[in-house]
Amino acid sequence: MRINRSTIALASVAVVVLATTTVAGAVGHGQAASSAKSAHSTIQRGGTLVFDRGSDIISLDPTQVSDNESIWADECIYEPLYKATQNGKELVPDMATSYSLSANKLSWTFNLRHGVKFSNGQVMTSADVKFSINRVAAKASNPWTFINADIASITTPSKYQVVINTKTPWAPLQADMALFANGVIPNNYAGETSSVFWAHPIGTGPFMVKQWIKGNELELVKNPYYWQKGKPYLDGVNFVSVPDDNTRLLQLESGSAQIDEFPAWSQVSELSSKPGITMTLFPSSWTQFLGFNEQIKYFKDVHVRLAISYAIDRAAIIKAVLFGHGTVANSQVTPALWDYDASTPGAQYNLTTAKKQMAMSAYPKGFSTKLLVGSGNQNELTMGQIVQSELAPLGIKVTLQEVNGAQETTLQDESEFQMSFLYDTTDIIDPDELMTFAAAGGPGAQGTHAEFTNYDNTQVNSLINQAEHVLSMSARKALYDKVQLILAQDPPMAYLFYQPFAYAYSSKVHNFFVYPTGNYHFENVWLSK
Amino acid sequence: MLVRYVGRRLLLMVPVALGVTLLVFFSIHMVPGSPAYTFLGPHASHKAVAAFNQEWGLNRSLPVQYWLFLDRLFHGNLGDSLFYQSSVTSLIATRVPVTLSLLTGGAVLSVLIAVPFAALAATHPGKLIDQVIRFTSTAGLGMPSFWIGTTLIILLGLVFPLFPVGGYGNGLWGHVDSMFLPCLTIAISIAPTLLRSLRTSLIDALGSDYVAFARAKGVSARTVLYKYGFRNATISAVSVLGINIGFLVGGTVVIENVFALPGLGQLMITSILDRDFPIVQGITLIFSVIVILVYLLTDVAYALLDPRVRLG
Repeated sequence: MRINRSTIALASVAVVVLATTTVAGAVGHGQAASSAKSAHSTIQRGGTLVFDRGSDIISLDPTQVSDNESIWADECIYEPLYKATQNGKELVPDMATSYSLSANKLSWTFNLRHGVKFSNGQVMTSADVKFSINRVAAKASNPWTFINADIASITTPSKYQVVINTKTPWAPLQADMALFANGVIPNNYAGETSSVFWAHPIGTGPFMVKQWIKGNELELVKNPYYWQKGKPYLDGVNFVSVPDDNTRLLQLESGSAQIDEFPAWSQVSELSSKPGITMTLFPSSWTQFLGFNEQIKYFKDVHVRLAISYAIDRAAIIKAVLFGHGTVANSQVTPALWDYDASTPGAQYNLTTAKKQMAMSAYPKGFSTKLLVGSGNQNELTMGQIVQSELAPLGIKVTLQEVNGAQETTLQDESEFQMSFLYDTTDIIDPDELMTFAAAGGPGAQGTHAEFTNYDNTQVNSLINQAEHVLSMSARKALYDKVQLILAQDPPMAYLFYQPFAYAYSSKVHNFFVYPTGNYHFENVWLSK
Repeated sequence: MLVRYVGRRLLLMVPVALGVTLLVFFSIHMVPGSPAYTFLGPHASHKAVAAFNQEWGLNRSLPVQYWLFLDRLFHGNLGDSLFYQSSVTSLIATRVPVTLSLLTGGAVLSVLIAVPFAALAATHPGKLIDQVIRFTSTAGLGMPSFWIGTTLIILLGLVFPLFPVGGYGNGLWGHVDSMFLPCLTIAISIAPTLLRSLRTSLIDALGSDYVAFARAKGVSARTVLYKYGFRNATISAVSVLGINIGFLVGGTVVIENVFALPGLGQLMITSILDRDFPIVQGITLIFSVIVILVYLLTDVAYALLDPRVRLG
């Protein structure tokens, strides 16, 4: 009897431990979950926005980052001379107020905004701008050296004027000056050493760094010296690394986070109808391709590339991978960018045409090839299986070559693949970055040789080169239209679909907006209580 | 005797840990994939890649790179992360408390769950309560930890919003509060094995001659259970717990991922995917030390619980 009582009492210890901690836990979190209120129409100040993303930033130094998480967070801290409009088609002044171009088209004089202060209270001047822009290409190993490659020198004739001299008449320069990497920091790191400065960096953006717990969370608080009076409305923004899709969603639903970046495509429709959550698909510059490596003999043949392009049912891929939340691509460029040509006759699904093209090729009976896919990358595996089955009627036997992410990137960058899924987004709204990397080949190609495909069309190369040096927008548009037309007829890759940027966020979040380049700013964002 | 034994085991830890880092170093370098491309992004030119490799010494031979790692290690330096460009030691230092509290919290909770139920089952062998406990623990064995974690989050984070839905929290109470569900997930994963082992040992102990003798001498049932039953049954359970914790060290990544905990496991996976070699090396070293220490503590506990066991 006594044994029974004591053992039962012992067994209840576990239950008591659970219950005690459970009740205690309720004190801290019950309020957050039960405090849903309707959104207010007038701006409310205060609050810290918790933004869940799949991974952490890598660096606070904008010249040293190539991952989107770092880029998009760094843009809250540093501001460049210009920035894109929300539709991604124009530029508006940011740290500059205007510019003028010399008669020989080689000297750009930027007039700086007066009264802008860094987050330490120091006034921003032309010396800061010069120092910041020069840092971008200071080392060959810097990721964004290529963007400023045409800059010959920078001078500062006055405290509020910066002159950028280019080697050639360089049309994309104004857009290049809107690149995050050209964001302004104080001259000579405000008297600090580089390492001390980057531990607590200073910028002119709406927010400044409170702390960065590497690999976990970047906490930003409002910049008290921000030049736009009365902004930002938020007290802070916390970028939290939450790798698991489900956990991000659960945190959003529980109210412990307000924005979920890139929810799984399978969840998008459900989230669209969930009370208290806004699900938005922002138009993007993301184009998904199937790349052909032209070092492989089969893919040197344009008819093979066209046959494959016609054989792929893009709508089926969009349905299977994006659950219908994408659009079929007709060009390398997305409709979100100003150089997009809606009339580009890019190959669309037509098995009859595909078979005709295959018959015209040097390999009418087909061949065997490999398609590189990332192991664990469910989207690529699904696309791979669809491509595999759709190329079978052409006699093309596709073997999926599964490799992990880092290996896939290396194999792509070293052109050690036969076919591979590739995608592109642009960091500036000027077409030059994307065209140079995804279409230009030959000696002028800056390392990627048409997105690693080794495509080299001299006419395309020439048109892209011309567009870099023609300063009329309409003339440039005409050149890029021609490029898109040639790429449709002689494709280095099969253009598959345009993918939006998916964000799920609390209905308490107002004015959140994602640009076609993928970045977001928070000076206008506010939270309703 | 015990001090000499522990000292010898600690010394042996050095070649074992280094052996593990050697294996990991060469195996991760054998897998294709360059950190330069991951760091520099898809637009990296070959010139930029070459400059990156030169800057970080990645263009040197593997034995030279490993020798440099050892050289730094013997000077108390684990090197710098290729991505974060800050010291590996400082990166790991912020993660160790998370992983250690996850492991210890999980171990403590698993004991708190397993011991009472094992006692209940062992004192009612073959009865309904015993059958229910055995059935439940068998079912628990078949549940993957990510599923347990997600279910707990939905149940106790969302449906009944009692705990944070992931994260490490702020301040001591915030940490305790945030770590409860992850620790409970680990406990639910370990407890079934521990419970079944403890139950079996307890039944054996309670059926032994010395227990019958104690009962005949009029020793109370409570004393019999605690002093004679548990003391002897715990010996095998300690081994089971030690082995499980050893396995868990490598398995924390799943729990850390589900609960978005900034621990060593999560950093390890990110670093393997990015090919951030110095971090992978550093964490491997820490993990191997933790596992060795857990096994050492298990052996010491074994000897303390059973005077017949002689360490040496």
